[in-house]
Amino acid sequence: MVMTCKEVWREVSNYVENSLPPKMREELERHLAYCRHCTAVIDGVRNIIVLVADGRTFSLPAGFSARLRARLEKDL
Amino acid sequence: MGLKKTEEIMASESELIRRILAGERDLYYELVAPYERMVYVSALSLLNNKSDAEDCAQEALLKAFRHLGDFKGESKFGSWLVRITLNEAKMRLRKFRPELYESLDKKVNCQDGEYTPQSLGDWRETPSEALERKEVRDMLEMAIQSLSEMYREVFVLRDVQGLDVATAAQVMGVSEAVVKTRLLRARLRLRDMLQPVLKDSSVLSHRAFSKGRNPWL
Repeated sequence: MVMTCKEVWREVSNYVENSLPPKMREELERHLAYCRHCTAVIDGVRNIIVLVADGRTFSLPAGFSARLRARLEKDL
Repeated sequence: MGLKKTEEIMASESELIRRILAGERDLYYELVAPYERMVYVSALSLLNNKSDAEDCAQEALLKAFRHLGDFKGESKFGSWLVRITLNEAKMRLRKFRPELYESLDKKVNCQDGEYTPQSLGDWRETPSEALERKEVRDMLEMAIQSLSEMYREVFVLRDVQGLDVATAAQVMGVSEAVVKTRLLRARLRLRDMLQPVLKDSSVLSHRAFSKGRNPWL
C-alpha cells in the first residue's frame, strides 16, 4: 500500500515518537524515500522537538529566582 | 538533581514536605527550586507575557504552599505544581481577558482538518548548533508565543516540559486523544513558521555547503 502525503502528515507525531506499528512505519518510510516534501516536514518537526526540549529555550528571566525567594520570604 | 533517580527524588521530596508541614517553612524554596522553570514556562504558555507569567508563577507557588498538606503523592510533585499553575493562569485569563479564555475552552475546534505544509525545505543545521545562536532561541519562543492558547498549552506541556500524554491530559483536563490531535497541529504549525526563517539564514546556508549537502533551491 502506498501512503499519500496527507496520510503521512497525520502520522508525523506518531512517527517521530516512534509509536507507529512496524508495518505502518515501513510504509511511511517507503513514502519518505521518494517524497522530499514529507521528509522535510518530518525533519522539521523532529528538529523543533529537539530544540525546545533543550533547557536553553525559555530560560528563566534574569533575577527570577531571587525575586521568587524574596516573595516567599515575605508572604509565606 | 539531574542524575538522581525518580524514586530518590520523590523520597527526598516527601521528606522535605513532611518537614515543611511540621514548621520548617524556609525549606520550601529548596523543594520548589527544581521546578522553577517548569512553573514559569507553564504560566507563560497561557499568559504569553513574561512579567504576568512570573507574577503568576510566584502566586501559584504561594498557593501550592498553602495547600501542601493536600499533596498526597498520587502524581509527581512537579505535575501537581504545573496543575496549580495552569489553574492560576486560567483564573487570571478569565478575569482579565475573558475573550481569550473562551477560545481555550472550545474543545471542538481541535479537529485535525486538512493540513498542508507551508514551505518546502530541510534544515541545514543540527538543532544544537542552531540553538547556540540567540536569534534562533528568540524566534522559537516568538513562534510558540504566536500559537493560540489551545495549541501553546499542549505543546509546552509535552514538548518543552516533557510530560507524557497521560499526564498532560490529566493536567489539562482533556482526553489523551485531544492532547495528541492538538499537539500534532501545534508541531506542524511551528515547523511551518520556523522553516522559512531558518532556511534563509546565511549561517545555515553556509553550513549546508560546507557539509557537502545539496542545497535545494
